[in-house]
Amino acid sequence: MQKLVVIGAGMASGRLLEHLTETDPGAYEVTLFNAEPRGNYNRIMLSPVLSGEKSYEEIVTHDDDWYAARNVTCRFGEKVTAVDRARKVVIGENGEVPYDKLVFGTGSSAFIIPCPGHDLPGVVAFRDLEDTAAMTEASGTPGARAVVIGGGLLGLEAAAALRLRGMDVTVLHLSGHLMERQLDEAAGYLLQKDLEKRGITVMTRASTKEIRGNGKVESVLLEDGTVLPADIVVMAVGIRPQVQLAKDAGLDMGRAIKVDARMRTSDPDVFAVGECVEFEGNLFGLVAPLYDQAKVLARTLLAEEDAFKVKQLSTKLKVTGCDLFSAGDFAEGDGREDIVFRDPARGIYKRLVIENDRLIGAVMYGDTADSNWFFGLIRDGEDIADMRESLIFGPGFQGGAAADPLSAVAALPPEAEICGCNGVCKGRITQAIEGGATDLGAVRATTKASASCGTCTGLVEQLLAVTLGDGYATPAAQPMCGCTDLTHEDVRRLIKSQELKSQPAVWQELGWTTPNGCHVCRPAVNFYLLADWPLDYQDDPQSRFVNERNHANIQKDGTYSVMPRMFGGMTDASELRAIADAADKYGAVVKVTGGQRIDLLGVKKEDLPGIWEDLNNAGMVSGHAYSKGLRTVKTCVGSDWCRFGTQDSTGLGIKLEKRLWGSWTPHKVKLAVSGCPRNCAEATCKDIGIVCVDSGYQIGVGGAAGMDVKEVERLTEVATEEEAIDMTVAFVQLYRENAKYLDRPYKWIAKVGLDWVREQVVDPATRAGLIERFDISQTVYQKDPWAEHVAERRARYAPLADLTLEAAE
Amino acid sequence: MEVAIDTPVKTFIEVTEVWVPEGEKLVLAEGNYGALDGFEEASRRESFARDEGLPGKAWAEARPVVLKQFDGSYFKRTEAAKAAGLTSAVAIPVFDGDTLKAVLVVLCGDDSERTGAIEVWAETDGLLMLDDGYYGAAKHFEWVSQHTHFPAGQGLPGGVWSSKTPILMRDLGSGYRFIRADSAGKAGLTTGLGLPVPVPGKRGYILTLLSARGTPIARRFEIWDARSAKVGKANDAILIDGICAREGALWDEDNPRRVTAWQGAIGRVLGTGIPLVEGGKPGLAAGYDSMVALPIHQGGELSHIVAWYL
Repeated sequence: MQKLVVIGAGMASGRLLEHLTETDPGAYEVTLFNAEPRGNYNRIMLSPVLSGEKSYEEIVTHDDDWYAARNVTCRFGEKVTAVDRARKVVIGENGEVPYDKLVFGTGSSAFIIPCPGHDLPGVVAFRDLEDTAAMTEASGTPGARAVVIGGGLLGLEAAAALRLRGMDVTVLHLSGHLMERQLDEAAGYLLQKDLEKRGITVMTRASTKEIRGNGKVESVLLEDGTVLPADIVVMAVGIRPQVQLAKDAGLDMGRAIKVDARMRTSDPDVFAVGECVEFEGNLFGLVAPLYDQAKVLARTLLAEEDAFKVKQLSTKLKVTGCDLFSAGDFAEGDGREDIVFRDPARGIYKRLVIENDRLIGAVMYGDTADSNWFFGLIRDGEDIADMRESLIFGPGFQGGAAADPLSAVAALPPEAEICGCNGVCKGRITQAIEGGATDLGAVRATTKASASCGTCTGLVEQLLAVTLGDGYATPAAQPMCGCTDLTHEDVRRLIKSQELKSQPAVWQELGWTTPNGCHVCRPAVNFYLLADWPLDYQDDPQSRFVNERNHANIQKDGTYSVMPRMFGGMTDASELRAIADAADKYGAVVKVTGGQRIDLLGVKKEDLPGIWEDLNNAGMVSGHAYSKGLRTVKTCVGSDWCRFGTQDSTGLGIKLEKRLWGSWTPHKVKLAVSGCPRNCAEATCKDIGIVCVDSGYQIGVGGAAGMDVKEVERLTEVATEEEAIDMTVAFVQLYRENAKYLDRPYKWIAKVGLDWVREQVVDPATRAGLIERFDISQTVYQKDPWAEHVAERRARYAPLADLTLEAAE
Repeated sequence: MEVAIDTPVKTFIEVTEVWVPEGEKLVLAEGNYGALDGFEEASRRESFARDEGLPGKAWAEARPVVLKQFDGSYFKRTEAAKAAGLTSAVAIPVFDGDTLKAVLVVLCGDDSERTGAIEVWAETDGLLMLDDGYYGAAKHFEWVSQHTHFPAGQGLPGGVWSSKTPILMRDLGSGYRFIRADSAGKAGLTTGLGLPVPVPGKRGYILTLLSARGTPIARRFEIWDARSAKVGKANDAILIDGICAREGALWDEDNPRRVTAWQGAIGRVLGTGIPLVEGGKPGLAAGYDSMVALPIHQGGELSHIVAWYL
C-alpha cells in the first residue's frame, strides 16, 4: 500500500480524504498532520459557534471514530518542521514519516496589519477554535468592548456574534462601504443599517493607526485621531496563504504553491489543495472551489482523469436575519445594463448586471429567494434576452406587478414629518384623510399640511393616493429624473424627515430604479444632502459638474479661466501686481468682469495648480466663478467717497462676501449693495440686492438679469448693518434648505411665495435658527478649493502624457 | 452539545393547548394534556370570550400573559388545575397583523425539582425588560432576570428582537457566557429558544423558552423560515436551525430540509397559519410522541415556525 501524508486537517484536505476513502479505501495508508490539536471541523461555521447559535460539537466534520474507521494515522497538535523531498520524508516535531505521495493542505493565516501594538495580548484573528475561545472569553466581562478591524464577511460575522454575546462592538472598515468586494454601495448601505439596528457601530473610511495598551489591548487609535476603547481587537482584514513549509521544501511558488489543473506541484509526487494553492494566478478563500479541488485531487491520486476549473463564486453572510447574496461582476462599465428593484418598506434591494444579453452579476439584499436561480444563469452564461423584462422578478414571475411608485411614501413611518413648515407628520395626515379629508384642500384645512410654502404638496397628494386607493387620482407631477417618480421637492422633504444622510440611503429608502442615480439626479441629491446634513454628509466631487470638479470654467478652446475673489469688488496694488505676474507667467488674457473682478483667461489645465498657488501666496482665494454658490457682491463706493452715499455700501458688501463665500446653493447667487437709490451697483436686478437709504437698508430678493430680467421684490427694510447681514444670511440659508436644485431664487420665490419667505426670515426665532445652521455649514464648506487642490490633488491636473518629447535615438 | 439527555424525566411544561377564535369566543382546537384527564375534560367544556380567562386576556390585551397564581385570579379552571397539580400558565397570542389567529397556552406544575424558564420580554424605552416569566425552581435565575435588560442585538432576547428571527442558543450555562450565564449554568439551563411575538401596536414582545437538562421543555427544537424573501412564492418553509437529543444537529447549510404546505406537521402549520399541538401520536420526527409548532406572522406573511418536541 502506498503511503500518503497530508499536512493540514482543514476543510479541503478533509474533503479529499472523504473522496479518497469512499472511492478506494485501500489505496493509501494515510498519515494526517495538523498543527491544531484536533481534526477537521467546518471552519466556516465558527461564527455561529462564537455567537452561541451552534456548539463546537455540531460543526465537527470528522471525529476520532471517523479517522479510526478509515485507518488514518492522526498526528494532531504536531507541527511539521520540514519536508525532505530527496528522501521523501515529512519531518514532524515528534519524528519523521516517509511518503510516496504528499499533499500540502496548509491553508492560510490571517493577515495582521503591522501597525504599532498589533502584537499586544488581546489582538486576535478569527481563523480557528482558539481565536473563537479567546473572543468568547473576552465577552465574559460585563460591558466589555470589541473593535473589529475589517468589514468583510469574517469581520462582520465576528462583530454580530460578539454583539449577541453582549459586547459593545465597533467595526472599522477602510473602504467607503462594507464588504466592498462582494457588495455594491446600495447593498453595503442596507447591511450597515441592519448591523446598526443590532447596536453595532460601523465606521467606514476608518484607518487604524495604532493599537494601544499597557501589557494588553486598551484602545485603538485611528488616523483621524479618534480613540476607541477596546478590551479585544479582532483583525479580519484578509488572509494569506500559509506556504513557508512548501517554500522551504523548494517547490515552485508564486503568491502561493503553484499547482496545475490536477493539483500537482512542481514535484510530481507532491500535491497541494485549498487556500495554500495558486492556480493560473488565482488564490482561493471561499469553500466551493476548495471542495472542487479536493475532488480533482482525489481522482488524481487514484490515477483518474479530472481537471480543476475556476468557476463563478457566490457569497452569503452568516448573520441571523441578514439576507444577502452576491455573485459575479457588478462593476459599472460600458455596454453593461442594470436592472434594479427596490422595496423601501421591506428593505429589499436587487440588482442584476447584464452584458451582451447575459447575466454577469447579481447583488441582493433582503430577498434572496431566487439567488440560486440567478447564480445558475451567471454560471451557465445563459442568454436572457427573452426574459429580460421580467428577469428581476425571478423564475416564478407570472406577469406580476412592477415596482409601485408609491412604495417610498407608503413605507414612511407614521411619525415621519411631511410638512416641515407646520410640523405635520404622516400619521396626522393619514388620520385626517381617514376622517374624511379626501382632497388636498380638505387636508390643508384640517392639518395645515402643505398650507405654507407648499413644497410638500406632492407628498400630501401621494398620501391621499396611498390612503384612498384608486378613489384618488394624483395629479401628474414632474419627477426629478428617470430614476424616480418623486419630484425634487418630495426628495428634499424626505431627506429631511427620514434623516437620509448618504446617497445610498436616498437611492434605497426612496426606491430609486437605478443603482447610483444619473447625471441629472446626482448633482441635485449631492447638494440636498450637503445642505441638510453638512456635518454628516461628505461632498461627492463625482456628483458635480465638470467646472465645479475642476474649480475653473472651461472655455471654448479647452483652456480655463481663473478668477480670484475680490471681496466687495475692492482690490489693492499688491494684489494687482500678483495678478499681473500670474498673467505674464501663464500667458493669460486679462478681463475686467461685470461682477467687479479680474478674470485671467486662457490658462492651460496643467498650469491651474501653479497659478492658484501663486495667487494664494498673494493672499487671494478662489472667486468660485464656476459654482452653484455665492459669486460676487458688487458694490458702489458708498458713503466713504460718494457725495450721495447714505451708508458704507462697500464695507457691507465686503462683510457679506466674507460671510457667505464658499457656501453651496441650489444655483448661483449674485449680490450687490448700492449706497443710495441711484443704484450704481445695480442691486435691483440681483438675487439679493441691498439699497442703502438714509433710514437704513432696503433688502430686495429675487431679481434677475439674464435670460429673464426681473426687478427684486422687497423682502424687508432694516435700520442697522447687522440686521441687514442677518436677513441676508437667513435668506440664503432658507434658499439653500428649500429650493429645488438649479432654481434661481426668483424661480423658487415664485413657487413658495414671497410672503412665506418673509415670514421665515423676519421671525426672530426662525431667523436665528437659519443663521445658526448656515454658520455650521460654513465651518465645513468655507474653505479655499485652490489651496486644497494644490495641496492634495495637483497630480490630477498634469497631462497624461507629454507628447512634445521626442523619442530617444 | 448540551441538550437534554434522552431518559424519561419530568417535563417542565405539562399541558399545551391551542385556542382559536370562533365567532365571539375562543374555543379549544387542540391540546396535549398527558395523563391529566380531569383537567382535559374541564378544558374541553370551556370557551372564552374576549378578556375572559387567560386566553381571553391574551386576546384582549394583545400580548403574552404570564399567570403564576390561579387562586383569586381571572383564571377560569382553577379547581381543575389545582386537582391536576398545575400552578402556572403562559398564554401566547398569535396575531397576523390585527387579526387573532389563535392563543397558545402552556401550563406548568410547581415543585422543587422542575427547572426551566418561560419568559416574556417587552420593549420599554428602547430596551427589552422582563415583562414576566415562569421559572419553576430556578429562583435565583428568576431574580437575575428581573434585574437584567437587553439592548438591541445583545443576548438571546436582544438578538431575536433586532433580527426579527427566532434564535436557538446552545450551551446557555457553560461555554456560552451570555449575560445571565453564570446563573443559567447553576440552574442547569442548557438550550434557549427565543422568538418574536408580533402583536398589534408598536410594542415588541419576545418569548424565550429556556430548557434544563433534568426537566426539559423539549429535547428537539426546530426553526423554520417561511418568508417569501427566503423561499420565494411557493408556500414552503426551510429548516434553518435545529438540534435534537437523538439526532444531533438538524441544520444543513448547503441542503436545508424543505417542506411545503400541508406536508407533515410543519406543513400543516404552514397551511393553516395556526399553532399545532400533538400528543401521544406516533409518527412524529425522531420517534418523539409530542410536539408543538408555533407560527409567527410578520410583515403580512407567515414568516417562521418554531417547533419543539418531547
